Amino acid sequence: MPDTGLLLYGGAFGLILIGIAGIVLSAHLVRIIFAVALLEAGANLLLLLATWHQGAAAPIIVAGRVPDLMADPVPQALVLTAIVIGVGILALALSLALRVQRAYGTLDMHEVRRHMEQDIADEAGIDMPSSSHAPAAVQTARQESGA
Amino acid sequence: MTPLDQLLALSALTVVAVWLIGNRQVTGWNATILYAAQGVLLMMMSDLGYGEVQSIASSLTFKVLGHGLHWRFDGLSWFFALITIGAAFLASWFASGEWGQRYRAAGGSLRLFHVALALNVFSMLVLLASGDLLSLFIGWELVSWASFLIMALGSATATRYAMRYVTYAFAGAMAVLMALVMVYTRSGSFEFQDFRDAVPAMSSGSLWMIVILFVAGFGVKMALIPFHLWQAKAYAETPGPGAAFLGAISSRMGLFALVVVLVQLVGVERLADLQLVFPFFSARDLLSWLAVLTLIFATFTALRQHDARRLLAWHGIGQGGYMLLGVLIADDLGSAGGLMHVFNHATYQAVLFMTVTAVIHRTGTSDLNKLGGLVTRMPLSFVAMLIGIIGLAGLPPMNGFVSKWLLYRALIIDGSPLLFLGSVVGTLGTILSVYKLIHNTFLGQLRLEHVEVEEAPSSMIWPMMILSTIVFVTGYFPGLVLDWVASAQAAVGLPVLAHNLGGVPSHKGGLDMIWVVSVLLAGFGIGALVFFSGGRSKRVHQLDNYAGGHFLTAETRYQYSDNFYPGLMHLIGPWYRKSFRWLERGFVSTVDTLSQAMQGFYRVVHPSFYLLVAVVSALTWVVAR
Amino acid sequence: MNQLALLVALPLITAFLLPVVNRVSTLAARWLGPLVLLVTSAIGISLWSQLGDSAVAVELGGFRPPLGITLYADRLALLFALATSIGTLLLWPSRGEEWLRQSTLALILAASGSGLALSGDLFNIYVFYELVAVVSYGLIAARSSAGSFAATVRYLIVSSFGAALALTGIALVYQATGTLNLAQLSQLAPTHLNNLQGLAAFVLMLIGFGVKAELFPVNTWVPEVYATAPTRVSGLLAGVVSKLALLIIVRLLVLVFNQPEALTVMLVLGMLGVVTGELAAWRARDFNRMIAYSSIGQLGIMFIAFSIPGQAGVFAGLAVALHHLVVKPAMFLLAGRWQGSLDRLAGAARTSPLGAVLFILLALSLIGVPPLPGFWAKLLVMVNLMAQENTLYSVGAWVIMGGAALEANYLFRVASSFYHRSEQQTPPVAHRTRDLATASLLGAGLVAGAVLIMPLADEIEGVASQAANRDQYVQTVNPEALP
Repeated sequence: MPDTGLLLYGGAFGLILIGIAGIVLSAHLVRIIFAVALLEAGANLLLLLATWHQGAAAPIIVAGRVPDLMADPVPQALVLTAIVIGVGILALALSLALRVQRAYGTLDMHEVRRHMEQDIADEAGIDMPSSSHAPAAVQTARQESGA
Repeated sequence: MTPLDQLLALSALTVVAVWLIGNRQVTGWNATILYAAQGVLLMMMSDLGYGEVQSIASSLTFKVLGHGLHWRFDGLSWFFALITIGAAFLASWFASGEWGQRYRAAGGSLRLFHVALALNVFSMLVLLASGDLLSLFIGWELVSWASFLIMALGSATATRYAMRYVTYAFAGAMAVLMALVMVYTRSGSFEFQDFRDAVPAMSSGSLWMIVILFVAGFGVKMALIPFHLWQAKAYAETPGPGAAFLGAISSRMGLFALVVVLVQLVGVERLADLQLVFPFFSARDLLSWLAVLTLIFATFTALRQHDARRLLAWHGIGQGGYMLLGVLIADDLGSAGGLMHVFNHATYQAVLFMTVTAVIHRTGTSDLNKLGGLVTRMPLSFVAMLIGIIGLAGLPPMNGFVSKWLLYRALIIDGSPLLFLGSVVGTLGTILSVYKLIHNTFLGQLRLEHVEVEEAPSSMIWPMMILSTIVFVTGYFPGLVLDWVASAQAAVGLPVLAHNLGGVPSHKGGLDMIWVVSVLLAGFGIGALVFFSGGRSKRVHQLDNYAGGHFLTAETRYQYSDNFYPGLMHLIGPWYRKSFRWLERGFVSTVDTLSQAMQGFYRVVHPSFYLLVAVVSALTWVVAR
Repeated sequence: MNQLALLVALPLITAFLLPVVNRVSTLAARWLGPLVLLVTSAIGISLWSQLGDSAVAVELGGFRPPLGITLYADRLALLFALATSIGTLLLWPSRGEEWLRQSTLALILAASGSGLALSGDLFNIYVFYELVAVVSYGLIAARSSAGSFAATVRYLIVSSFGAALALTGIALVYQATGTLNLAQLSQLAPTHLNNLQGLAAFVLMLIGFGVKAELFPVNTWVPEVYATAPTRVSGLLAGVVSKLALLIIVRLLVLVFNQPEALTVMLVLGMLGVVTGELAAWRARDFNRMIAYSSIGQLGIMFIAFSIPGQAGVFAGLAVALHHLVVKPAMFLLAGRWQGSLDRLAGAARTSPLGAVLFILLALSLIGVPPLPGFWAKLLVMVNLMAQENTLYSVGAWVIMGGAALEANYLFRVASSFYHRSEQQTPPVAHRTRDLATASLLGAGLVAGAVLIMPLADEIEGVASQAANRDQYVQTVNPEALP
């Protein structure tokens, strides 16, 4: 039987790694947002594990009986708060993503950035800075067809 | 209140008063009177100028962040302040009459102009009074921004070059600040005395660094090579009297600061000890050569100009080289020459800028290819310019001769034949170009469009005449100025020049200007006597053309002004490769490329990637430790 | 001293009351927010005058640490809480259609910002930090343009990523010490956190919280957000919020992670921030992004300054931070009517002479021209950097100098275009009176700072010496802790 502690730590770091990989590697906005949620879950789990002991009882004193080993209640309270915040941010992020999708018709990070640059440049009344990804000719062709 | 407090307070008051009076014709006259009052206050401190008092402190002192700030005047400050206030007084007088009327009518604001001028004077006085490195820096910055203000008043070209000046000047200021901080870490304070005490203990590496930073910072103002690109056009395009003022004294603030730092604090002997990698070439030699190169380069660039104001502005840069060279020789003759040249240059440069401005006022142009023959229309201006160019060329009987004589003499005694040769080459270029200036403006035949031109108004003629008189009188009796120069020398710890009213007495061949000028005048007198008593002269009309046996009608004007000195230009033309401009452009395009790269960095598609990279590399570094 | 909690509670309660009040009277709702901020500012000032050299710790609900929530107020914390209140008041959102929502958000920002400054507990710091973040997303997106949504969501992702990493760092700290109370951490740090785990935790928190503090390289959101957000919000973010994030990092450095490696990481990242920010600003072609990039550079200077060890670093960094706190919001207020292409600004001095003069004043102080306060701050940083006698710190000094030279160039290129008389172009419209009045107030503050530099410097030095005093912190929170 594998060590539970190892498993739990492995799970926490695994979640963090998956989250980071998801954030960095995906190009789709919603996937990135979910990856952030995964990352937060991993961080929360890590915080819980910080004072975790095998077989510790819940820190509730019932009828005067004090268990030998109690889990630290502080991180649990903290994680509860963190989860609430995380959910709030997740909701906000998704609603913003929805607005972006409505405005630009895409959730691809490259496209979103390009549209955003274009918006900023249009509003400021300057030429859009040339992209580092496409030569100038391609860029203008794209602008003509895209806009 | 000490006399210095009174002077600084009055100078600040001038700024406020001029601002309050506003954009009116009387502004200039009021400013002129206030400058005269400042001059009177300065004269009440004249004990400084005659070495009877070492220094006069201001009662104003601050202590900020544990650094004391104080101000005081010594002989050197007094000498520079005299030139500053004198130049401001005459420039303001010059600007108060018809010039001001026309400037205002053309949409310029006299309030802004006079406030800028007054602010320049105030900030220069503050700089001259600085009593420690920190107040020196504060004064320096005030001067820089005040002169930016007056430059930016001019045309669009002037603004562009003023902008360039800001870039150079602020980069220079940062160099100075860096040097100050380096001094601070080694001496523990910003006091002059502590710096002086710390110099012997400094390693030559750090002293080199400090010297280079100071020279780079203060050299910008002097337009020392390679920081010279901004000055000529910025000064030339400044409104006329402003150009006269800037040309007379503004750049000399750089010299003042260098004298304080290099001569008074570091000491020229220490500079001479600072060897570059190979022997026989020290920091002092490096700076001397920079000075000579500035002199030659700027003078010959001036020769190529066909705008009178730019020609003068380039000369202003070149003559700065003489002053620095003189100070670096650091014996009694050389440093006296360098310091006296500050005064002399201020006088003739101001008078030359004023005559050119007067010509512009009457004809509307300063293009040397479009002028000529004005001597019959503006004789007094001609005389003023003649005196000015004789001074600039360094010929007797004007004051420019005395300072250059002192300098050459010192170079010969010092045993620097190459530097001497360089200076002579510079003087040669000066003579050629000032001849071009007066010939193309006043000599030759009058152009048709200038037939109606009149003499400049009296508000311009008076300052010009006063300055010309000073140029002549201080050439006749150089001892008048040498008194002040001697106390300035004493103030910064240089050997003091023994002198008398006529010049320098010496067994090995001194100089007595009273004698020289008297002989010269006597010679002229005899010549004139022969000329007029002979009765063989015939008065010829200016337009009486006669060439090569052919009589031409008066409608055909003779103008030699276009394409002046073609042979010489052909000869030296290839030397102008604009390498400094290329250097500057190369620098700018490097910054531009880097800037583009950085913007590319910030326009990332996926910002989280950077976060990951930062975390991973920071963690790796921490672990690797 | 329980008034301390009011700084957080009062705006928070008002924020939630605001919609209700609006039902009763729109006029009252409009004025309630600024009024409350005025009250909290007054409370802050009165606390400041009572505080003197002492510090106070308030245990909310009477629980002792590590269980209770501690609010800790020394002069530094109070200063930043006060800056949050006053800053929000000055940069109160303009009256658009969404005024109610924006006022609510601004009040929550004031509350959570003050909470962030006053927290004496790592987890509360995290909570308030996230609260500030959420509120600022709402404020940034207030213009409801497509660009602002995109910029917000991009900012949100990197900020949440950072916050999650910071949370991981907090977990590491808790694992090593079993407490999150800063005072206790400060006592335990030499034995428990002076190791690899501690440093890793610091790096995670530095970069995590650094997102808001515009730390290189997690500051790529800065130009796009400041270009799309309402200018008052940008001013608030650049001026106040970034300093709050910086404050946390400084607290952590002083109290917990007092290790040379931690300082070096900050120094290097700060230098890179100056280099990249100033260089990018040099080529910026619109007003907002120019000052956005310049603010990255300025924050870089603060990181460099705070990386100087000991009280000198806190003093120098604090001086730069406070200066920037005044200058940057004023710049953004000017951006209100000047945003967009820099070419449009030709002749702006004709329509807005006061704005042009203010811009020049702010620019002069920003690049450090004496006798304006920016110069003294910069001098302080330079002197202390060189005093370290360390190559890396000297390089930092050179970087600051070079950055200032670049900054002078691009700021004055703009300033001189104000005075160009261009016939073809119509200059931009004059500033709104409210923007201009607020900016003038800040400009006047700057001038007053220059005049009163001596008492001001002494005061800031006092604040810094108190902030750098770990023993006082520990003893105030936990009187029995030290012998």
